[in-house]
Amino acid sequence: MKKNVEIVWLVLIILSIFAFLLGYLKLVSSSLVTVLLISTFIKGQLVVEYFMGLKEVKFKYRIIPTLWLSVVLSLVAVAYYLPLGKL
Amino acid sequence: MSKALTLKRSYPPGDFAIWIVIYIELLTFGLFFVGYAFSRRLNVQMFNDSQLFLNKTAGFIDTLILITSSYFIVKAILSIKNSNENDIRISSSIASKWLLATMGFGGVFLVNKLLEFSDIFAHGFSLSTNTFFMFYLLLTMFHFMHVLLGTIIIYTIRQKTKRLGYTSADYSGMETGAVYWHLVDLLWIVLFALIYILR
Repeated sequence: MKKNVEIVWLVLIILSIFAFLLGYLKLVSSSLVTVLLISTFIKGQLVVEYFMGLKEVKFKYRIIPTLWLSVVLSLVAVAYYLPLGKL
Repeated sequence: MSKALTLKRSYPPGDFAIWIVIYIELLTFGLFFVGYAFSRRLNVQMFNDSQLFLNKTAGFIDTLILITSSYFIVKAILSIKNSNENDIRISSSIASKWLLATMGFGGVFLVNKLLEFSDIFAHGFSLSTNTFFMFYLLLTMFHFMHVLLGTIIIYTIRQKTKRLGYTSADYSGMETGAVYWHLVDLLWIVLFALIYILR
């Protein structure tokens, strides 16, 4: 747990730098939207499991924030990828 | 490893009531996030043009601040969790310093955000400028209020920590404040990617 926290913090920082560089260098293309959303999901999941401590609790409690992340980010992906004119 | 150590906890960390609050907050922000993404479809060019006025570097610094402050509060909890009766004074002192660092970073986030808001308003943008700025200002100001509340909560937790109010047997109150702070962090992670980066 002790070492995990340092590693989790480092991974979160690295993924944040990656997201920032994509935005700052204007590299966000339609194919990279998926990459960015997956990286956001990983960051969120790391916060939920290791910082909030849900990795240590029963599945029925862990699954709610994970479902939230999955549903919200999937709907965002739908909104970005669905051809304009649909919906 | 003994079987007892491998058993999962029955409930999430902290007071159960805070999880009700967290689920409500997730639902509220989730609706805003999805609303933003689908509203963008109605005028993609306007959203992309408006996004260029946002300070990505400030948003990135805010992200680093919140992630690191979340790490600090985990360290505060670990100090208390791993303490024993003999060293509770030292452990509380260490936890108190981690909490002070968390509050400090919370304060830096708030100042950074205020500077960002003042810059946006100085450019003449407001809630009624267009749909992008309506979502941007609503989401970031709503989130700002959460950081402010979280900082106040951590201040009260720190006061109790300084009075040796938490022990390895009873630190649920500290965990309650911490999970709220992590919620604020989690919401910002999604907000940053969605509003500042995705286009």
